[in-house]
Amino acid sequence: MNSTTTMTAQATALQASRVAKHASRKRVNAIALTLSLAAMAFGLFWLIWILIETIRLGVGGLTLSLFTQMTPPPQAEDGGLANAIFGSVTMVTLATLIGTPVGILAGIYLAEYGQKTWLGSVTRFINDILLAAPSIVVGLFIYSVIVARMKSFSGWAGILALALIVIPVVIRTTENMLSLIPNALREAAYALGTPKWKVIMTVTLKSARAGVLTGILLALARIAGETAPLLFTALSNQFWTSDLSSPMASLPVTIFKFAMSPYENWQKLAWAGVFLITLGVLVLNILARTFLRNKH
Amino acid sequence: MDTKVNLPVTEKPKLSVRNLNFYYSSFHALKNINLDIPENKVTAFIGPSGCGKSTLLRTFNRMFELYPDQRAEGEILLDGENILTSKDDVSLIRAKVGMVFQKPTPFPMSIYDNIAFGVKLFETLPRIEMDERVEWALKKAALWNEVKDKLNQSGSGLSGGQQQRLCIARGIAIKPEVLLLDEPCSALDPISTGKIEELIHELKTDYTVVIVTHNMQQAARSSDYTAYMYLGDLIEFGPTSDVFMKPKKKDTEDYITGRFG
Amino acid sequence: MSDKHLSTQFDAELSGISTRVLEMGGIVESQVARSVYALTNFSAEIASDVLMTEERVNQIEVEIDRDLSTIIARRQPTARDLRLLIAISKTIANLERVGDEAARIARTVQRLLNSGVSSRLRLPVKDLGYEAELAVSQLRKALDAFARLDVDKAVEVLKADDLIDQEFEGLMRKLITFMMEDPRTISSSIDLVFVAKAIERVGDHAKNLAEQIIYIVKGTDVRHNSVGEVESLVR
Repeated sequence: MNSTTTMTAQATALQASRVAKHASRKRVNAIALTLSLAAMAFGLFWLIWILIETIRLGVGGLTLSLFTQMTPPPQAEDGGLANAIFGSVTMVTLATLIGTPVGILAGIYLAEYGQKTWLGSVTRFINDILLAAPSIVVGLFIYSVIVARMKSFSGWAGILALALIVIPVVIRTTENMLSLIPNALREAAYALGTPKWKVIMTVTLKSARAGVLTGILLALARIAGETAPLLFTALSNQFWTSDLSSPMASLPVTIFKFAMSPYENWQKLAWAGVFLITLGVLVLNILARTFLRNKH
Repeated sequence: MDTKVNLPVTEKPKLSVRNLNFYYSSFHALKNINLDIPENKVTAFIGPSGCGKSTLLRTFNRMFELYPDQRAEGEILLDGENILTSKDDVSLIRAKVGMVFQKPTPFPMSIYDNIAFGVKLFETLPRIEMDERVEWALKKAALWNEVKDKLNQSGSGLSGGQQQRLCIARGIAIKPEVLLLDEPCSALDPISTGKIEELIHELKTDYTVVIVTHNMQQAARSSDYTAYMYLGDLIEFGPTSDVFMKPKKKDTEDYITGRFG
Repeated sequence: MSDKHLSTQFDAELSGISTRVLEMGGIVESQVARSVYALTNFSAEIASDVLMTEERVNQIEVEIDRDLSTIIARRQPTARDLRLLIAISKTIANLERVGDEAARIARTVQRLLNSGVSSRLRLPVKDLGYEAELAVSQLRKALDAFARLDVDKAVEVLKADDLIDQEFEGLMRKLITFMMEDPRTISSSIDLVFVAKAIERVGDHAKNLAEQIIYIVKGTDVRHNSVGEVESLVR
């Protein structure tokens, strides 16, 4: 520490003001930090409570029969969620398989061809609306267009509804991820004489693949828990079916039905279903994150 | 600006620029450029920021066409043929006129695939010949010894100087006739820079090299001919030793001696 | 655009070294003048003074050369600046040799005084004084031209070298006549021949300086061109 005798009066005054300002900054810092921690604790508290309740009420129902037996009638002795699980897995997978290519191609158009075109702007605008559209609206749309015409609920209708939710998500993430790739990389490929489509497929898309895949996984995780669209399209089915043109059971709808009922066995199964969905979404999110981290 | 460029009789022009004007929307970025780039020599473009040297370089491989608001008027003759109005697909032109950029940009693939990428576009080579071509390109870029045991590893795992030499190897693997280097060393440390300057010196036996640099000493060290540009005009062009010992224009001398007023 | 570098340090270094060169020039110019004065006035005191100052001249040459190397290493000069520095290097070598010639004249004076002088030798000594005046004024003119980087003045110095050569030849004839008339004067006359030669060489060094000035300003090396060729080259 300098001896104060060697400092001029100016330096001393400067030092004093520094100390004072620092002290006040420290105070503000402490207050803000405390408030942030409190807010975080508040949020975490509810989250943890939800998880605890889910585990507590759901884990009891985790038996082998959950996966092997069909949804039972009320007040039955045994039963499971096999048909609902099968239905969910099938519909979610097919919806993703249908929606992903459409979404990626549209995303490529927006990022690589349509940055400034009117078609690109219109597409982006409509996509933003679709992204924010309530899923029940999507469900009702498919209902009026397909279910009402065909006069029957079906698995296909459910798949279409879910696909219409997947597409905007994939478009948005694909476009964003592709836009993040620096132009320098594209120019380097063009400079070698690469045609545009090849630049996109082998350089740009490949560089962005981690982000794009993450987008797909997130879309998948979202539709896994959607109930409203399925209510108007696939409805539900007590029995096992692998016929997509007939109504199909799904986990969200089944949970909806069972949880609101007065029957104990149904309620137990509902909680088990909740637990399964939560676990599934959690696993998908973790996969998405590790994927993104590793590939970068 | 009337600068009739007279190359010595022994020099054959590889690229001839005639009355070239370039526009970014309505901004007149290059003003009536007339210039001959000599074959198998290194030509450097120097000048302060915004003088148009990179713009001029990027007309030589029509890179500006990626951006709709950029346009070029005039003639650029490659071996006598005007590349601006050529009926050939632009990819074929770019196969003859290669470019290496300021920032190293390895593709998201293995080192081997990076080099083979450009070659596969225009040639179908059996595996053995492709291996040879990759080795040749990496040797030319003075990178072979450092990567020969890890050709299957990703290109992004290399250091900055190595990545830039990878990009150079990638550019020469397709055997272009002209190599355009846009400030290739500005992101590199002095040792990597030195290695690349050595490389440029060797490359000129087989290629015509044009290098844009904001480092005047690099231009003085590495080039045979130097062009000084200012605000879109070509002020002076001549042998590097003349430009740096006895420039013809006062503007040129003021710039290279550091008298920016 | 101004004539100043972006780096004021660089400007200061260049003007500093140019000033030192002019200082050195001034010292050797006075060395020559005084050594000839010592001869025409037979002053042993001035002669030994000149010899002492000669040390200083050599020292300055070494200092300037060292500063020169430092500037080149640090500044990577080009074009005009590089030519200036190269020219300075040659100029101070020339100036140092002018200093050597002055010292040689001073030593000759000492030798003559120690061996006694003949009154008849006074005549050619005056002519020597005249030759020296010519040479010194050319040197001064060359240094002036360096200070102002004045090419026209430099060309005048180149032209005037012939005059000095003519003077020298005239002196030679006179001294030979003396030696033929009186063989006892041979030893001293030969000393005077050497002095005359030394003065003639001072004129040559002034010419070299002028050639360097043309190199700095025009970038052309005229060291081995005739005066006529030089005039057309600088136009």
